[in-house]
Amino acid sequence: MPRCWLKEFMKSTWFEVARPQKIDLNDWSQHFRLVRDEQIKEFNYYHNPEWGIYLSPPATFMVYGARELKRLKFDNSLASLRMWGFVFNESERLFRAKQMGKRVIATMGDLGTVPVIIMAFPNCIPFYPECIWWTPFFKESTVLLDTATELGIPEAACFSKATLAAFHKKAYFPKPDLIFASTGASCDDYSCIMQLVNDLGYEMLWLEIPFRRHNDEQYPDRFEEYLISEYERVWNKMVELTVINDKTGLIPSIKKANRLRSLAERIKQLTYEAPITPLPALELMTIEFGNLYGYADLDEWLDIVEMINETVAKRVEKGIGVLKQNAIPIAWITPSADPLLLNLVEDCGLRIVGTEYVINQALVPIEENVEPFRALARSFMKASLIGSTQERIKRIIEGVKNERIKGVLVTNMLGCSHCAMETRLIEKMLSKVPVLSIDVPVPFGITEQLRTRIAAFAETLR
Amino acid sequence: MELIGYTCSYTPVELLAATGFKPYRLLHGNVGFITLGEKSVRVDACPLVKSNLGYIMANQKKFAAVVGSTGCDMARRMFDVLKELTNIPVYLFNNPRTDKPTIFYDEIDWLAGELECLSNKKINSEILGTEIDRWENARNRYRRLDQKRASNPSLISTADFHRAVMNYHKGEIGSAININENQSDKPRIYLLGSSIPYEANQILELLELDLAIVGDFNCGISRFLNINIKEKSLNGIKVAYYNQPPCIFKRPNQPFYEFIGTQIKELECKGIIAWTLDYCDSYEFELKRIGRIFELPVLRIRSDLSFQNLSQLKTRIGAFAEMLA
Repeated sequence: MPRCWLKEFMKSTWFEVARPQKIDLNDWSQHFRLVRDEQIKEFNYYHNPEWGIYLSPPATFMVYGARELKRLKFDNSLASLRMWGFVFNESERLFRAKQMGKRVIATMGDLGTVPVIIMAFPNCIPFYPECIWWTPFFKESTVLLDTATELGIPEAACFSKATLAAFHKKAYFPKPDLIFASTGASCDDYSCIMQLVNDLGYEMLWLEIPFRRHNDEQYPDRFEEYLISEYERVWNKMVELTVINDKTGLIPSIKKANRLRSLAERIKQLTYEAPITPLPALELMTIEFGNLYGYADLDEWLDIVEMINETVAKRVEKGIGVLKQNAIPIAWITPSADPLLLNLVEDCGLRIVGTEYVINQALVPIEENVEPFRALARSFMKASLIGSTQERIKRIIEGVKNERIKGVLVTNMLGCSHCAMETRLIEKMLSKVPVLSIDVPVPFGITEQLRTRIAAFAETLR
Repeated sequence: MELIGYTCSYTPVELLAATGFKPYRLLHGNVGFITLGEKSVRVDACPLVKSNLGYIMANQKKFAAVVGSTGCDMARRMFDVLKELTNIPVYLFNNPRTDKPTIFYDEIDWLAGELECLSNKKINSEILGTEIDRWENARNRYRRLDQKRASNPSLISTADFHRAVMNYHKGEIGSAININENQSDKPRIYLLGSSIPYEANQILELLELDLAIVGDFNCGISRFLNINIKEKSLNGIKVAYYNQPPCIFKRPNQPFYEFIGTQIKELECKGIIAWTLDYCDSYEFELKRIGRIFELPVLRIRSDLSFQNLSQLKTRIGAFAEMLA
């Protein structure tokens, strides 16, 4: 009995007392033994404890093909473990959703706004097929990218081309009940990819993204009206599908999205401002992208992010974290499709204190005191890619001016339309600090040369 | 300053000309300009955009303004570079990718207002009427030439036609057009794809050693002939420019394929030349579809505008022509 009690006590407290650090797959498999059975059962998606359990050691996902996990390092908190289990479970979750009669809606291209409308309808699950762009890297496999090339996409194109292959293979997510495809003043690559998805026989409702000519405060009112009319079209299509027409559902949906956005922002700020980084950059990026659609279960994702927030707050309070205190603060512009790069940068003694991951529209609060579609339009008008480069990086420029950011890393993809045109300009605009611009290599393609460049960049900053 | 540069087929030249400046289509494809442009953008940017950028940088004093649309993403983002590196006023209008005429019309109204401020000139219906007449007359003259090119057998070459239309694109619409007839019985083909820059005439000449290009859908050759302004007003301009055969970047782009399909049939083409510039997403992503939808032999020619592979290209074109014959 005493031994059993001691075991349970150890299990319940280990995660409380463990020193924050980045650990590998084997360490996680060891530590996972300390997770209580009740805890495993406690966390489940779609509120279903029978088959909705997702807490498992990252090694599980490596066995299922995510080979890069064996090279990655993860935060050792229970909250992060929960996050990874949930994120890697998304594909299963989407198929489950379909099985249990939920509507699965693909929202493509707008990155953050249309899902808020979809979530106003009961039993409707939005997801972003383009988030599959991480899959070739996690799996260290070029199957999706090669298939995309066979289907007609040039080799030098954004890694989001994996989306076309995923639609073609029909194995990564269920056939969506509806597809909303946003195009317009955004990147060319994804617009072309969506057109090819359309050509595979998937019907889609195309939505227009206007160009924000002036800054995000002074654009003409009619731009909001354009977006509102597009959101009305989304709404009508959803009403057609669900036979439900209750716009009051938008209010809680916006509130939930705002709750998530404010939590993510809080975690980012705590992490950026703490003397010792309490959460690694990889986990932080995963949280930021969670704002798009809550990885297909917003309620559970909110709960996870709350838990991470508590973990981070406690670490900050105790003055502990996962990186050395002398890690050099840098900003990161354009997200990396290869998660390993985020690890590498931290291994070189850098810490991320600012990002511009092209999803600003999913980070800003949505107004709650105006008509819902107008509020959504206003939040979308703050999108990263619909305005000028200068505006896109204004927060980073501010950080450089305040001497909070000592260097900037820009990740590019060969042939990507906005990378090709923006990067040199970004380097010029940020000329007061060293800027390292790198191309994200294909899966399993990070070379010593690239490691050396990052290390040399870190040295320069030091 | 005498020029008002523009980058897109959806830009109404009549409106630009109403300012008193000469509309100048930015269609440069010169290695020297590309090298200049590469100082400000990455090497994997569209060669036409890099070259245009280089051309503007080298000729800043000539330009009173540059106007563009949100059509191609790289062309659109060139305006950010221009804003940062030059003092040339730039105007970028929303060119919707989906069928949204209201957006386009509102934007042309906005552009007209901006151009009035730029030129300090009221752009009234009288001025617009005059410009519409001038440019429509020019287009009619080129249409007559285009008919000769399209006739069977073809009576003028596309290389000659291209040399002639450069004047239109450079705003020289008053100059005389003289093209000698030169009947061609070579295999009739249709050319489509990325822009054909001024400096790319040699490619057309090379193609027409073995083939007869009897129709095209490329910025820089005959696309402007699809503009037919019926009502002499700003409204007439908006309607004509919006309703031109859609660019491939429109979504969905089925109407583009329908238009080209009709053209290919009417012109009795036996094959297609798909000309793409490096990193031109709009066309490069569609090459497979082009082959599948039109069910004709397609010769793909990809270029960085350096024209270093002309000998190799000559062999490929010869083989393609043999296959068609």
